[in-house]
Order: sequence, then C-alpha cells, then structure tokens
Amino acid sequence: MFKLHWPEWTRDPEQLRRLKLLEKVPLFAGLSRRQLGKLLVKLFEKEYGAGEAIFLEGEPGKALFVVLDGKVSICRAGQGGEHRLATLGPGAYFGELALIDDLPRSATARADEPSALLILYKSHFDDLIEGHSTIAIRVMGNLLKALAGYVRTAQTSGTSHDALTYSPSVVAPKQSEMPPERAGR
Amino acid sequence: MTQERLSGTPRGPGSTNRSRLIPPPSSIIWAMGIAITGVILYISRGMVLILLIATGVAYLINPLVKRAESIAIKRSVAVTGLYLGIILSLIVSAYLLVPRLRAEVTALSGSFPSFTKQLDETIDAVQAEVIAKYPTVSGMFPAREARYDKLNAFMKEQTEDLPGLVSHLATIVIAAAFIPIFSFFILRDSPKLIQSVMDRLPPAQIETSVAVWCEIDRVIGRYLRGLALDGLVIGTAAAVGLWVLGVNYPLLLGAFSGLANVVPYLGPILGGGLAMLTALMQFKSLSPIGNVLILYLSIKLLDDVVIQAATIGKSVHLHPMLLLASVTTIGHTFGVFGMILAVPAVTVLQEIIKLMLERRRYRAGVSDPHLGKGVPVQPYVC
Repeated sequence: MFKLHWPEWTRDPEQLRRLKLLEKVPLFAGLSRRQLGKLLVKLFEKEYGAGEAIFLEGEPGKALFVVLDGKVSICRAGQGGEHRLATLGPGAYFGELALIDDLPRSATARADEPSALLILYKSHFDDLIEGHSTIAIRVMGNLLKALAGYVRTAQTSGTSHDALTYSPSVVAPKQSEMPPERAGR
Repeated sequence: MTQERLSGTPRGPGSTNRSRLIPPPSSIIWAMGIAITGVILYISRGMVLILLIATGVAYLINPLVKRAESIAIKRSVAVTGLYLGIILSLIVSAYLLVPRLRAEVTALSGSFPSFTKQLDETIDAVQAEVIAKYPTVSGMFPAREARYDKLNAFMKEQTEDLPGLVSHLATIVIAAAFIPIFSFFILRDSPKLIQSVMDRLPPAQIETSVAVWCEIDRVIGRYLRGLALDGLVIGTAAAVGLWVLGVNYPLLLGAFSGLANVVPYLGPILGGGLAMLTALMQFKSLSPIGNVLILYLSIKLLDDVVIQAATIGKSVHLHPMLLLASVTTIGHTFGVFGMILAVPAVTVLQEIIKLMLERRRYRAGVSDPHLGKGVPVQPYVC
C-alpha cells in the first residue's frame, strides 16, 4: 500500500518521543503505531514536583496515569499513617480502574521526585473506544490480564476471598506482588 | 458545638465574631473579578459572540487536526495546511454554486418591489379557493381594501428599519473576516492554553477539574459537529425536495432550512414555514403547500430517527423538558444565538454540578446507588 512520507520539518519531535514511550507501556501492548497515535492525541502531560500529590484516596477517579519520567509512590492510609504499596518508574501506569468504574480512589499517588506524567481521562478514553473497537478490545484485554494478575498474586499470598469479590480495593498490590507486565518491567 | 464556639471566644489570631460576617478577602476578590469580567463581557458582547462562533468553527475542524497530530505532524503545520485546503474548497464550491445562487438572489430581489401586491394576490386566490369549497365561511374574511391597507402598513413597518439592517450587514461582514482568523489561532494555540492552565492548577485537583473540562469538551465537540452535519444533510434534502416539487429558490430555501436547523425546535418550523409561504406565493393555491408540508415532515422524521441518531446521538444527556425549557428561557433573554448556545451552556452547567455533587457524596462517604447496577457480584474469584 502507498505510504506517505512527511518531510522532517513537518514532524513533531515531542509527539514522536511520547509515541516511543507509549509503545513500551504494557497496557497498550499490541496496538499498532497508528492506533497509538490516535491514543496519543487524547493524552495530557503534567509535571509534578517532589512530594506533590497526584490524586488522593477517596477522591473521584477520573483518569489513568502513565509515568513518563521520575518516580511515583502509591500509598494507602492505615493505622499509624500512610503505607507505601508500590513505587513506579517510567513506562509504568496507575489509576487504571478509573477507566472501568466511577468509584473513588482507594489509594493516594504521590510523586517521589520531579516527575512527568501522561494523563488519559476516562471521557477521552470512552470517546476513543466508541469509534475504534480494535483499540478497545486490545486495551481492555491488557487491563483484564493485569487485573487477573493481581487476583492470582493476591490469592497465592493468602488474601481472603472477601477482599477479592467485586471491589475497587484491588488497586495496587505491593511492588513485590505486582505482575511484571504491570510494572513496566 | 464546643464551649469555645458558644462563648464566641476567638479561635485563632485575628479571628473575631465580626470576621464571621465579612467574607474572607479571597472571596471578595473573586466576586469583584467575576463582576468586572461580567461587565467587560457585556460591553464587548459583539466580540464575545464572534469569539464564540470562532470557537465553534474550531471545534468543527479540530478532529482533522487531531488526525494529523496522531501521525506526529506538527499542529501548526496541520492547521495551516487544513486552512489552505478549506480556502481552496470554498473557491471551488463558489465557482460551482455561486452562479446558480446569484440567479436565485437576483430573481428574489427583483420581485421585492411587487412583494405586497404578490402577497395580496396570493391571499385573494387562497380566499377564492376556500370560499369555492366552503361557501359558508365567506363572511369571515375582511374586505379587500381593509386587508390591503393593513398589509401595506405591515410591510412599511418591516422595511422602515432598513438602515439598521445595513449596519447589521456591516457587522456581519466584519464577523466574516474575524471568525476564520480567530478560529485559526484558537485551533493552533488551544493546547498551549490548556497546558498553561493545567500548569497553574493545584496538582491534586488536576484529575477532577480537568476531567470536567474533558467531558464538556467531548459533549460540546460532538454536539457542534453533529449539528453542522445535521444541518448540511437537512439543507441538502430540503433543496433537492423543493427542486423536485418545482418550488422557486430551492438552493436559498435549502440553505436557510439547514442554517435554521441549528436552532432547536424553532428552526425546522421557520425553514418549513418559509418554504410553504414561497410555494403559496408561487402557485397561488393551497394544494402545493400540502406537498411542501409532507416534504418537511418527512425530513423532520428522518432527522429525528436516523440523522440525529447518527450525528448528535447521545452526546447531549439533557432531558427533553430541560432542553426545551433552557432553549426557551435562554432564547428569550439572548435571542437566536442564545437558542443555539442554550444546549452547550446547560450541558456545561450540568457537568459542573454533577462533579460537585459527586465530590460531596464521596466526602460524605455515601456511595452512588446507581453505580454497579447490572453488574453481578461474584461470590468468589477463581
């Protein structure tokens, strides 16, 4: 098929950089470069300073985050303060349950160091998957694999059945429990 | 309530009973800011309207820019290329359509001086037709002279404001020049603007506040694009239908029907009414009106069942009653443009209220009773 080659001066280096990063994100595995491009235009980029909260436990969940640069901690309030559940680096994603349901965040996300994140809002994601069933099937398939990974990991580590029934609390297992495809490893 | 509050003892440095009555300085600054913005917007409402229309145009073109961006083309290059393409297509369509449109406009303007006479003759013919069928109603019609005088007075009243119309025409010409320029810059620079707003928002609020903007952006974008496509289909269908029925000025009437269609409820009535009046004056008989009425009712039915479902779809989640009430109220206050902007304005308000209620509910620890409906709860996971 005829492929159009655009001259170099028309290309956006920033978009190309983001596109390369998205190719490595496990949630978007299996998407072609063209499909990733469609996803890319729906993303916002935001920089966070060290220690700044990205979202807080109990707030409405509205977006998925992909770490572009830096480190992000996922913490949950418990007895004696916040407990760190996971630390995520470039290529990792979090807050994915916001793409599925409208329930509040079950954990807090905080930037450990100056970090840049890509944000995909649920409404933009819904907009994208409505017109592109292939993208929807691939992303949802990857998401289901990741969720199945949590459930299996949690089951083998002895978490009670009650905690594994339909519940948004299955959000962020400890880093050691995290399936490799989820952590961008 | 604590003893400290009951006794009115200050709770901190500088906190007195009086301070409870006076809003904190930030609230006063916000209120003043909103009031000043309101006054500025009112003074420059003409320009605000042009900006709003330019934003609407930008919404229509934005998906094409996004498509170019998805293959990593620079936004500025994509916007410039698209504008050049649009200008070229406008020149080509003007070359093809303008001679026919000009002929219709010339014919229409030529018949203006004898308009009252033509209208009078039409009423005479229709009266004669009705009396021939139902002789008993003959006494209900006024005498011809009295009617002619009334008609003349009405036409004079309508054309007295012609100088005002000319000045409006000048505003329209200025708007026509400004709208493409503004929409070009809005399209090119809107991501930078959004990014700079995001950089200034408190980090922990980014998710929820920008989510509202995304939802509003999605709903308004779909609504405007759907409306434009809907208007195009309706206008084309009306023009073709009127041409088949042999009604004069099919292109002009089709264009008017398409444009009027953007005004909910009132638009289709205006488009159909004008077409029926034209048919009545052309054929001087009631029977062709039936054909035009059937044509417009069929187009309306097709629009409601097929075209709107495919274009606007479920992009606007407003109850029909709320939609009608908002169109009537805002239209009454701000005129025709108010009617067009009523739906996006109420949608914006609805989304903001929805988020505020959601936050309040979550903070109070109350779950949404609608959530999880239809999702069977698994008794186990394996």
